[in-house]
This record gives sequence, structure tokens and C-alpha cells, in this order.
Amino acid sequence: MQSKTSFFNVALLKKNLSRTWIVGLLYFILLFLTMPVNYIIQLSNYEESWEAQAGLTKAQSLYEIMSYFPVAIWAAILAIVIAGITFKYMFFKRDNYMMHAFPVSRKSLYFTGFISSSIVGLAPIILNAIILTFVSILEEAYVFDGIWYLTLVGVVSYEFFLSLAVFSLMTSGQIVTAIVFYGIFNCLYLMIEVAFRLTASLLLFGLGQAMEGININPWTPVAFIDNNCRMNVFYTYDNLGMVNYFTHSLDGAKYLIGYAIAAVVFIVIGYILYKQKQLETVQDFISVPFLKPVFTVGMSFFISMVAGAFAAGLVDAAKPLSYNAKFTIAIIATLIIGCIVYYATQMMIEKTVRVFSSKKFGFMVGYTAAALVAMLLIRGDVFKIENKVPAADDIAWVGIQSSYTMVFTDEEEINSARELHKNFLKDKKELRDVNILYKDVPGTSVSFKYKLKNGNVVIRDYAVVDTESDQVSSSYLAATEPILDYLNNPNRIKEHVVGNIWDNCDINYMSFSTYTWDESISDYSSYVESFDYLTDREKNVKFKKVYEAVLKDIDAGKMFRTSFGYNAYDVDNDPLYNDFSFTVHNSEIPYFSDEDTYWDYNWRGNEEIYERNIYVSLTKDCINTLKALKDEGFYTDDDQIVTYSEYYERTGYYDGPILY
Amino acid sequence: MIEVNNVTKKFGDFIALDSLNMHVERGAIYGLVGPNGAGKSTIIRHLSGVYKQDAGTITIDGQPVYENEQLKQKFTLIPDEIFFFTQANTLDMMKFYKNMYPKFDETLFNKLLNCFPAINPKKMVRSLSKGMQKQVAFMLSIAARPELMILDEPVDGLDPVMRRQIWSLIMSDVSENGLTVLVSSHNLRELEDVCDHVGIMNNGKILIERSLDELQTSITKIQIAFDGDMPKLPPEIQVLKKISTGRVHTLIVKGEPREAEKVIGAMNPLLMDVLPLTLEEIFIYELGGENYAVKDVIF
Repeated sequence: MQSKTSFFNVALLKKNLSRTWIVGLLYFILLFLTMPVNYIIQLSNYEESWEAQAGLTKAQSLYEIMSYFPVAIWAAILAIVIAGITFKYMFFKRDNYMMHAFPVSRKSLYFTGFISSSIVGLAPIILNAIILTFVSILEEAYVFDGIWYLTLVGVVSYEFFLSLAVFSLMTSGQIVTAIVFYGIFNCLYLMIEVAFRLTASLLLFGLGQAMEGININPWTPVAFIDNNCRMNVFYTYDNLGMVNYFTHSLDGAKYLIGYAIAAVVFIVIGYILYKQKQLETVQDFISVPFLKPVFTVGMSFFISMVAGAFAAGLVDAAKPLSYNAKFTIAIIATLIIGCIVYYATQMMIEKTVRVFSSKKFGFMVGYTAAALVAMLLIRGDVFKIENKVPAADDIAWVGIQSSYTMVFTDEEEINSARELHKNFLKDKKELRDVNILYKDVPGTSVSFKYKLKNGNVVIRDYAVVDTESDQVSSSYLAATEPILDYLNNPNRIKEHVVGNIWDNCDINYMSFSTYTWDESISDYSSYVESFDYLTDREKNVKFKKVYEAVLKDIDAGKMFRTSFGYNAYDVDNDPLYNDFSFTVHNSEIPYFSDEDTYWDYNWRGNEEIYERNIYVSLTKDCINTLKALKDEGFYTDDDQIVTYSEYYERTGYYDGPILY
Repeated sequence: MIEVNNVTKKFGDFIALDSLNMHVERGAIYGLVGPNGAGKSTIIRHLSGVYKQDAGTITIDGQPVYENEQLKQKFTLIPDEIFFFTQANTLDMMKFYKNMYPKFDETLFNKLLNCFPAINPKKMVRSLSKGMQKQVAFMLSIAARPELMILDEPVDGLDPVMRRQIWSLIMSDVSENGLTVLVSSHNLRELEDVCDHVGIMNNGKILIERSLDELQTSITKIQIAFDGDMPKLPPEIQVLKKISTGRVHTLIVKGEPREAEKVIGAMNPLLMDVLPLTLEEIFIYELGGENYAVKDVIF
């Protein structure tokens, strides 16, 4: 009868601790220096510090210090180092055989190893928290919630990463490979997503910007925990540079519960793997039988898919290809590279180059057929990637970006934008090959960007050509002209280009540069009338008159117009060399910036803005604006109005089209 | 004490142990011999609970070995490649063994330490010479007071004096405490001096498993010379090998030596000498001389 075995062995615990305590000590020193010592140093000369001068209290300073510490990254590093040392015996034949010959069960080895690793990793975190608590009491900076929340994040993160590290160590017989697997498991989801997005950006219609909008989610814990679970501080300054608002967040607890559960799952799976592990697999690349085909297929498919897409992209860069030609090259390259990677993976797993058996060849044929089907499914857009237009209920806002950027947030506009997008995708056959079919027609691009309520982003970017060209087909016009009509609606331009305060704003700044030919230097000299002799009120009145003229030109369709063949810097369209800009301002209504929203600019945090400088590319067709500028004294002579082509012709600075 | 029945172990497509059977009685010193790659280390790893067999049963004292913590407390292993913890000195290892083996005798360990004065117990074991590491391993093993000691190439790396000393310690433990020893070695001459039972292994199987006395009487070397050509031997004489030098013929004969002597004597040879075979010679002839390079050196 086999005897019962225990979970825990004191001799093993002592042995493990004797080998890993130094790592725990180093981690404690790191924590001690970056938090208590750093804080004490800061307080020793607190009155002179920028924190004190900016009005931060001692407690707020401590919150700030704690918020800087990247808990998850250090926990991830610490976990694999400690687990690696503790379970090192599993990767060397001599150590492995002897440890398992001792009168100790795998259960004891596993759980004692886990417990000792936990002690070494958690002791510094808890000790640091205790010291920090004492320091905060002494300094009367009572931030116990922050200290112990940070400790909780540290404890859960460490236990999660430790369980993942131990699980990873059980999957391979080589310690370096196991550590690499640990890194892969940490970023597996992100790597798969990047592989798909990279392939999509190179091959699929409209997915040229697929690499943008990658959202780190809980499946990538090493990045997610620090972004979403650790303590964050947020503060704003007033006009005198003093902190006028300070808050801290401790709101990642729900994720921590999830990671704690995941840790338990990994501990159990790791134990099952250890229990089932055949010790002769020491030094094997993969020591868990069922992982071998998973690894082989995964590596072969993802590497070959990305490499195949790159191959097609390279050929396309050398000689533009049609959509179908590009896909055909990608599929062929994917299959060939997949076969090579398949055998290379087998060589790694088997630790020999003699892997060319009929059994493996049969498996490879099966894999290749599956990969071909997968690529054809992608080509057929079975997964609705190219045709994806998110459901209206899921959308927080939708942006359309071409010559200008517009972001639509209300339900009606969101639905309109979706309909435009859907209409555009109705017949992709011609649209996806515009670079081949209309290679002589000037073009640009138009993007649809959907910000979803769950935080994800869907971006589609399409090459488009001039709808004015007589070369384009009626079906092309049917797909694209509705977009232009929508974007060139004067009211929409005012609302989204000038901004939401366009009809309820002051113009507290306006600038128009004039150019006068100076024979003495054979060049134009520029001048901007600043109206310094006027009061602010007088200036506002003057600027407002010009602004009214700007609105008239927008209504007349002369300003801020989007054209798929038109470029604001295109000399042929004669934009003025004269710079014109103005600032719209309303101290009551926050300015909603379509452009900042679209590009996710968040340089002022959550602080509202109340004004915006608008740059305008004028042409001589903007007769209302030019007349108003002249009437209001921004210029006096029509010769001071110069187009780009006139400027370059006279100065001789320019010989060809400007490339941006 | 050890019962191995029909144990099979495969490493991929390679069959390392092929329906192997082995039986070691309590108090025996069992020598496991076989050519390189025969599977000696593999069966030892099974006996020490490191490997799990694909088929068959392995029991010690009637209990399965694999994952049997309490059973493993009754035996110690000295593998061919000794393992000590990094940074650990002899005393650290002693403390570890003391915690692992409930019968560990610290007094005995200290006595043994005196027998090996060259070893500094406070020096890191991994920094000691290979021979000294073996000595430490023996000290720890013997002090653990095991009922069974499994030794894989145990005296490899030790000088002759130290070998003798080690064997004498083991033998006294066998005689005083009824220790059972399973030893695998290539040094057959040495095994011949200490073993009372021998198992000859090849291709993952035990070919022969007998007491050494039985083994040595089951195979004989007979040197004979006849006046003229050698007459045909009767079929009951099973000749494993025949080497002729002029009129002198050397026969390796399987079976009872006195029977062979009687039958051949009846053929009136001019000269007849019946010589016992060493274990090494038996080993070579039982394996048919294959896979064993020293055969031509010996003869």
C-alpha cells in the first residue's frame, strides 16, 4: 500500500530559502530605496522641493511616489528568477534524478517550492509596506489605503506571475526555453493579435492602419496590471503652477480578483503537469506531449502568415499589385514558409535534423491544407474583417478623416457615418484596386475610425482618387461621392472643423500674413498686422467681422472642402501663401476638438479647453473672407495676396510639386 | 526485497527496458552488469522512483516505489553522477539528509567523517574532487541507515585504497545490519569480490540472474590437447567458444564442469586442465562476445 504524502517538507523549504533569499533581499532593497528612503529624502528638504512649492501635501507626495513603482513588471521578473532558482533541479539530469530519488514526493517538491518562492517574493513587499506605514505615521501623512492597496497589488501580481512562472517551468526541459515560454505566455494574446493585425495591415482591404488601436487587455498581464490595477494619481495645476486638484485611484480590485483566480488555476495545472511529467524529458525542448503539436502548428502558422504577408508587401512595394495578386503571393509564401518553419520546429523539439519521416510529412501535409483553408477563409472575409462596420449601439464615436477630421458622437450622425461606410463597402472589387485601375488619377485616403464603448478601436483606411476625374467609373462615384457630400456639408464643416462653439464664440485672436515683393532682397517680405493700438474689445469686433465672412465662404463651399483629388498644398489649386488663423473662444462652453478626439490627444488630461486656434487654407475664391480682411485692415493692397504658385515662380525656390 | 516484473520502458521509439525481470533478496549484494546501453542506469532510475515504467511492476518490500515517500526513506541512492546543492558543504548536506531520512545517524556520520580525514566538512562539496564527493556521498548514504543501498558505478573515481575502505564499510553494514545492496558497475573484477548475486543485462533485459557461485560453476574453461586432430565432442557438451593453438584447444563449456570433465576425460586427451572463469569472462561469453570490446584483450 502506498503511503500518504504531505504537501510540505521542512528540509526542502530550508534548502530552497537558502538559495533564493538573496533575490528577496535585493528586491527589498529596491523597494526600500524607491519608496521609504526616497520619501524620507524628499521630506528632509521638503520646503525646498518642487512638490511643496507646487502645493502638494506630504501625503500627496507619498501617493505620487508609490504610483511610480511598476509593480507588475518587477513582480514578473522576480517571480521567474525565484521560481527558476527553486526549480532549477528540473533542468539538469544529475540534479533532477537525485532530487526525485530522495524520499520526497512530487507533491512536496512542487508545493514546498511554491511556498518557499512565495515567502521570498512576498516578504519584501509586506516588510516594505510595514516600514512605509511607520514612516507615514511619523510624518503624519496618513495614506494607509494607498500603501496597503499597493501591497495588495504587489502580492496578487507576484502570486499570479509566480504561478505562471512555475507553470511555464513545467512545460519545458530546458531552463532557457522555459523562461522564453514564460515571456511568451505573458504576451501570447498580444503577440497573436499583433500577428493578425500585421497580416491584415499588409493584405486586407482598408486595414492599412490595423496596427493602430491595439488595446492592452487582461490577457497581457505584465502590461495590463501596471496600466489598470496599480494606484494612479492625477492632479491639475492652476495658472500659477499650483496644484489645484489632486486625486488618486485604487480601482483595479476586480482585475486582481481575476488574477488571483487565474493564479490558482495555473498552480493546479502546473501541479498536474509536474505529476504527469516524465523525468526523462529533462533537456527536452517541450516536456509536455500535448504541447508539441500545439507549438508546432502555432509557430508554423503565425510565423508563416506574417512572413507571407511581408513577402507580398515587399513585392507590392517594388511593383504595385492588385488585391488578388497580392493575396496569391501571400498564400503561396505562407504555405512554403509554413513547411520550412514546421520542420525547423520539429528539429527544435526533437533535437535532431533527422525529422523527415513519412509520419511527419503526413502531418505537415495536413497542417498545410489547414493553413491554406485558413488563408482562403481570410481572403473570403469569412470572419467579416474587411466588411466590419460596428453596430451603432457599440459605438462611442465615429470619425472620418481625409482633408479634415470630423468626429461624430450623436446617434444620428453615427448612423449616417455607418451608412456611408456600408455603402462604400458594397462593391469592394473596384475600390480595392484603385491604385492599379486609376494609377494616373491623383488621390488621397479616407479613414473611418470607430471608438467603441468597450474602449476598442476599429480603423479602416481606404485609398481614394479624384471623383472629378473622367477616368473613374460610375460605380466608383456611387461609392465615394456620398462621403464627399456628407463631409462638405457647410453646417457639418462649421460644427466639426471650426468646432462646436462656432455659432457662439468670441474671436479673441486673428492673424493674417501679407507678402510684399522687395526688389532690394529679391524676395517677399512678410508682415502681420497685430492691431496693438486697439483695445481687446475693438479687436474682437474687428475679428468677428472677418469670422462672419469666413462662415459665408464656408456656406458658399469655398473653404474647408474635402476632395479626394485635392490636396490643400497642391499648387494647381492655388491656395494662398498667406497664413490665416483665428482663435474661437467661449469661456462657458468647453471646446470639443474633433481632431484631438480622433487622434487620442490627451495632453491636458481630463481638463476642459475653452478655445481653439483654427488654421485656414485660403484660396482666391474665398472672396468674402479676403474682402473682410481687406476691409478690416489686415492688408491694403491685392498685391499682398500671393498664391503658392506665384510665390515660387517669383522667388524661384520651387521647381516641382511639394512633397509632404 | 526487490521485485521487478515484466517492466518495459520506451524512450520514443527506443525500447530501453524490454519486459525486464529482476529479483533481489534481502541481505544480498546484487551486482548488475551489462554493456554500455544495456539499461542498467534506466532500471536503477526506476528502482529509485525517478522514472515511471510504461508496463510491469516494481516493488520493494512489496510496495510500489514510484512516488512512495515513506518507502524511499528506507533506501539511498548513489548515482554515477553525484549531486550536491550549490553552495552546500558536507555539514549542510548532512543536515538535509538528517531531515530527509528519519533513521539518519549523526553519530555514525561523525565517525565516518573521521575515517575520511582529507575531507573538510566546511568546504563546499562541489569544490571537492570527484573522489572526495563520492566519499561524502557514501558517508551520507551509510549514515542514513538504509535497508537498501542502490549504487550506480559507485567506486568510479576512487583510488584503490579508498575503494577498499568504502567496500569494507558497506560489507560491515551488510553483515551487521542486513543491508541489501544493488550495485551496477563495469568493474567486474571488483564485483566478483563483493557480490553474492549477479544479474547480467543486455538490450533492456536480464539475461541471467544467479548467485555468483552458481554462475561460476555453470560455465567452465577447459584446455585440452589430443594426439592428432581433436575428436568430435559428444552433443551433451555445449561449447560456447573454441580457440585452437596448434594441438592445444581451449573450450568454454556451458554446464556442470565435473560432467564435462568426465565426458572429455573419457576421450583420452593428452592434456586436460579445467579452469574456473572469472566474472568478466562469464559476462563476455554469456553475451556472446558481442558489444564488448575487451574480449580480444582478455584472450
